[in-house]
Amino acid sequence: MKEGLRQSMAWVHTWSGLLVCWLLLLVFMGGTAAYYKHEITFWMKPELHKAADAPSRVTPAESATLAVRELQQRAPTANAWFLDLPHERNPLIYASWTNPPSKGMTREERRAAFRTQNFTLDPMTGEKTAAPRDTRGGEFLYRLHFDLYYMSAIWGRWIVGVASMFMLVAIVSGVITHKRIFKDFFTFRPKKGQRSWLDAHNATAVLALPFHLMITYTGLVTLMFMYMPSATKALYGAEQNTMFSEVFPNAERVKPARELAPLADIGPMLQHAERAWGQAPTRVVVTNPNDANARVELHRPSGQQLSNIEPSMTFDGASGALLSDAKPLSATLDARAAIYGLHVAHFADTLLRALFFVCGLAGTAMVATGALLWGVKERQKYAKVIAKGGKAGFGVRLVDALNIGAIAGLPIAFAAYFWANRLLPVEMGERSNAEANVFFIAWGLAALLAQVRPTRAMWRFQLTVGAVLLAGIPVLNAITTDTHLGVTLFGGPGLRPVAAFDIVVMLLGLLLGWAAWWLGRKAKKAAARQPSNPASTTPLEAA
Amino acid sequence: MTLLFLSGLALAFSGFAATSITMDRHYADIHGRGKEASRVTRLRLRTLGWIGLALSFMACIGASGWHIGPVLWCGVLSLAAWSVTLLLQYHPRKVMQGAWIGIPAALLATALLLR
Repeated sequence: MKEGLRQSMAWVHTWSGLLVCWLLLLVFMGGTAAYYKHEITFWMKPELHKAADAPSRVTPAESATLAVRELQQRAPTANAWFLDLPHERNPLIYASWTNPPSKGMTREERRAAFRTQNFTLDPMTGEKTAAPRDTRGGEFLYRLHFDLYYMSAIWGRWIVGVASMFMLVAIVSGVITHKRIFKDFFTFRPKKGQRSWLDAHNATAVLALPFHLMITYTGLVTLMFMYMPSATKALYGAEQNTMFSEVFPNAERVKPARELAPLADIGPMLQHAERAWGQAPTRVVVTNPNDANARVELHRPSGQQLSNIEPSMTFDGASGALLSDAKPLSATLDARAAIYGLHVAHFADTLLRALFFVCGLAGTAMVATGALLWGVKERQKYAKVIAKGGKAGFGVRLVDALNIGAIAGLPIAFAAYFWANRLLPVEMGERSNAEANVFFIAWGLAALLAQVRPTRAMWRFQLTVGAVLLAGIPVLNAITTDTHLGVTLFGGPGLRPVAAFDIVVMLLGLLLGWAAWWLGRKAKKAAARQPSNPASTTPLEAA
Repeated sequence: MTLLFLSGLALAFSGFAATSITMDRHYADIHGRGKEASRVTRLRLRTLGWIGLALSFMACIGASGWHIGPVLWCGVLSLAAWSVTLLLQYHPRKVMQGAWIGIPAALLATALLLR
């Protein structure tokens, strides 16, 4: 290797980045949205808004008792019940359960049994709320960012894992190849073409480097047992589940005794936990309800800890006796929990969560500017050809088209998903799948149009469409529901997520609108300078 | 907690601002072309810059504890650095004036931490 380290790293950085950048845009946008997946889900179920408006009047113990009473009627033979009690980010009581699979079931029935079924209670009255529309809400975006869609989750995770590995390589090689990392630390020079794009790429990358490194590395760690199975294979062979139950005490499952025993009153257990912790449990898991081997696990948020494993207490469901506090974790497991916890940021309060969101947007911008930069640089090689009225090479055209489809097209897909949530008929069958399909139809159309005409006009068109769709969401919400900004801004704290969602998507829409306007102004300037030159070049070379 | 966070943000801004105005390019942006900071000024401002960042770290620890605090600090640093970067480009002189915010922020953070 005759070239210096920097040059070879520049090569690695360029190609490792370019190869996966469009997928990374999807992962970054989906993951960034997933920081607010509960809020998004809540926004997407407007039927629940009314119940959330008033503050909870029942204690956690009472609300758990209410939910258990309802579950006893609806699903006494379930193999597990899950309760989410009202707390800061959740104004309602959510209850769900899974049914036990039985022997004679077909594969479809088995899958249906595992799918959770749920209902929601109003914490004001303890009554059931109106049935919310069928939607996967923020969960779809969360899953999308590592499972992808239209393929098995395993395939999706492998693809995203490979992309993350490339991303890690791109980050490290990017730092090495950036020779003025300290001198250019605070530098941003607009209106200087390639220089400006590089500055923007550097500013979004370097200034949030801890976040980018952390999110990529921790993302890989969350799925480490899948990506690096050799160690567990060597130690446990085919008995992977043994490994999980040995390593993760929380994953321990007790087999049902197949002996009826009524479930003890859950109220005193919650009161016990609340006294011991000084804080009410927020999540309850009952395994094998109404069985002699029933277990009740109470969880609380980990608070000032990074760990993703919530502190818990386990009770014997039949006798109501306290079995154990959560077992202390080994140091290794504690480290993994902290790494995992950093990625999902369950510990983050409102402020920190907002910072994570902004850093996620910066990551999106970093990938986007990097992708654009490739086109800008490559196009210069064709400067003379283009000046003579010729065309840039196939690679440039392809990258331009993919860039439009991803950078301008993905926001359209996200917006279309939210519009579909409000506009598809509520009683429609397979509704949540239809919403997801709308996401991909919108994205597919945008990507296809971009391939047909990857021009400046296409950039402006798609950015404008994205801007109108996103900024129009508060209007759409006002027309289709009773909880528009005029209500949510002045309503109870339970409605704040709805207001915040409306405002944030509107701001993002305005940002896209600004980008479209900026391109339009540039187009006019360019036309005024060179009236003879057709607008065949993309707008990005002379930013 | 919010006040500590805000003073942490102000301190980080101030720390980065002090560091940035010693850099040749930005010094020239503020004081005119070709001007360079003297060695004493440079040393003094850099020291102040590091002190600002260290105090900002303490404020974040005070706001969120030793586990979450460092995470919060990373976010605060990014936010502060972006503000300095944009301000240097569009209103370079404001960076110099804005850097003074570190002093009341430091006093506020100290008061809150010692309380």
